[in-house]
Amino acid sequence: MDLTLSRIGKRFKTKTVLEDISFDVGPRELVSVIGPSGVGKTTLLKIIARLDAPNAGEVVFSSPPSRKNPVILVFQDYVLFPGMTVWNNISFGLKSRRFKKAEMRDRVERMLDYFRLQGQRDQYPAQLSAGQKQRVAIARAMVINPAVLLLDEPFANLDRNLKMETARFIRKTQKEFGIPTVSVTHDLEEAFAMSDKIGILLEGRLKQFDTPKELYFRPNSHDTARFLGPVNIIPRELYPFFGVNGQGEETEQVLARPESLILESRENGPGWIKEISFAGHYIAYEVSLGERIYTVYTQRDSFRPGQRVNLKLVE
Amino acid sequence: MKTKFLLKLSPLLLPYLVLFCGGVFLTFSQSLGFLTPLPYEGGLAEAYGSILSSPSFYSSFFFSLQVAALSAFLAVAAGTLLAYWVWKLPAKLQTAALIYKIPLILPHIAVAFVVLLFWSRSGIVSSLAHSTGLIEGMQGFPNLLYSGWGLGMILAYALKGTPFAMLLVMALLLRFDTRQIQTAAMLGASRLRTFVRVVLPRVAPAMHTAFIILFLYSFGAFDIPYILSESRPGMLSINVYNLYFKRDLARRPEAMAILVIMFCFAVLFIFAYTRVVNRLENVERKI
Repeated sequence: MDLTLSRIGKRFKTKTVLEDISFDVGPRELVSVIGPSGVGKTTLLKIIARLDAPNAGEVVFSSPPSRKNPVILVFQDYVLFPGMTVWNNISFGLKSRRFKKAEMRDRVERMLDYFRLQGQRDQYPAQLSAGQKQRVAIARAMVINPAVLLLDEPFANLDRNLKMETARFIRKTQKEFGIPTVSVTHDLEEAFAMSDKIGILLEGRLKQFDTPKELYFRPNSHDTARFLGPVNIIPRELYPFFGVNGQGEETEQVLARPESLILESRENGPGWIKEISFAGHYIAYEVSLGERIYTVYTQRDSFRPGQRVNLKLVE
Repeated sequence: MKTKFLLKLSPLLLPYLVLFCGGVFLTFSQSLGFLTPLPYEGGLAEAYGSILSSPSFYSSFFFSLQVAALSAFLAVAAGTLLAYWVWKLPAKLQTAALIYKIPLILPHIAVAFVVLLFWSRSGIVSSLAHSTGLIEGMQGFPNLLYSGWGLGMILAYALKGTPFAMLLVMALLLRFDTRQIQTAAMLGASRLRTFVRVVLPRVAPAMHTAFIILFLYSFGAFDIPYILSESRPGMLSINVYNLYFKRDLARRPEAMAILVIMFCFAVLFIFAYTRVVNRLENVERKI
């Protein structure tokens, strides 16, 4: 099962929310669409889930979703049924399909085991933590073997330290169940960690759609590059300082991530350390070179403010 | 401090103490033969003895119970379904659907007349049936209002109660998250299953409140039975009226005794109803 979004457009009255959105989600693939708040990410999911209709374009499924294998959207705040226990929430879809009791029990038990919810089986949503609620919502979707799973901001309600763990869990679950999944989020790190492909949605348009590595290291525009984190611009005239071989290239500048630059102590180096800030797992150096400021992330803390340095770009 | 607190509550406490507690106290006293306009010569519980040993009291009691229960059930069922239907309408039509509130401002007695005008043997429905050739004459139309089942009163109370139940249910529906319905549909639930398993539990508190209020009102109200009730079995409220105004002054404690019994029943009913509902909800949660 795979799905293709072909030139999707959506307007609300006169405001265009989405324009010309096209991408493919392959079978067993996890795709994330990243964008700032209010850019139309949830609208895009609703269109795929057929809860909203596009004004232009279409969503094509390789085999159309059915009542047996539907498209399931897990909302940002999970929308569990508040009057039902965890067990009843998970079994809701199976009961709706009139599954035999024994098979239903078997499937729900497997979900409770897999999603580590055995201890909460008789609890109500109000008694669960945000992480547990999310696992119930995903289990409730997975138990009916959906054609496509859609996740709306899966990290929005989670504690900082739980986000990355959840991202890994979602990736592991998605690979285990092999269900094509589209997630929309504005949490970059988590999206990078769990996705096969990522689309950058800015101002209603899909600016780039690629693997996380390609996207991060080879952004196709300044907007995309900046959205994904700090980026340094190396103009052609400074190529020699950075060891960039610009021969044969037509571009007038190169974009470089802070972690792609190496600092070297050099007595008569072209740059000097302007500012140092400690950021936990790395140290951020602001280096003045020519009329520009370059940001470099490294774990070395041997540099001091005012020290002359050389900068190198790692390809 | 305490005086200040009581003073602040006085707008609430004074009417409650004077009108409600005073009224209950006076009714109870008179039912025992105290504080009556004329000296009462019977024993302390004689009025209660005479009421509780009378078969007509029991038939009136159960008849009132039946009318109240059926009309409240119909009003809550119709009100809930209509509220759900209106809530699902597009926003523009929802504004137009506000006409459902109009019957709320009609007095009960007006609704009684509406029922009478439409459903009596000489009423509008009967005339229409006659003019379309469905019946040959007035006698061919079933005697709905005076069949001995209190159908006229049930219909009037249900008509009057339906918009009230709608109003209460609508208040909860307006806060209901429509994504719950979308989620249920995505998970494969039919419309009926979504309504029963997802929507009803959310509006149940409003339904229970509406049922208790409508039931107790129609159990003891006087206006609609005065127009639409039958002589036997009569509604309790009519019996009280007759005993108080149309019989010997000496029988007034009996009227008061019926009122006290009705009051005790109302308290017991609320207590038993809420207990049963709580137990049912707990059982459902345990499954």
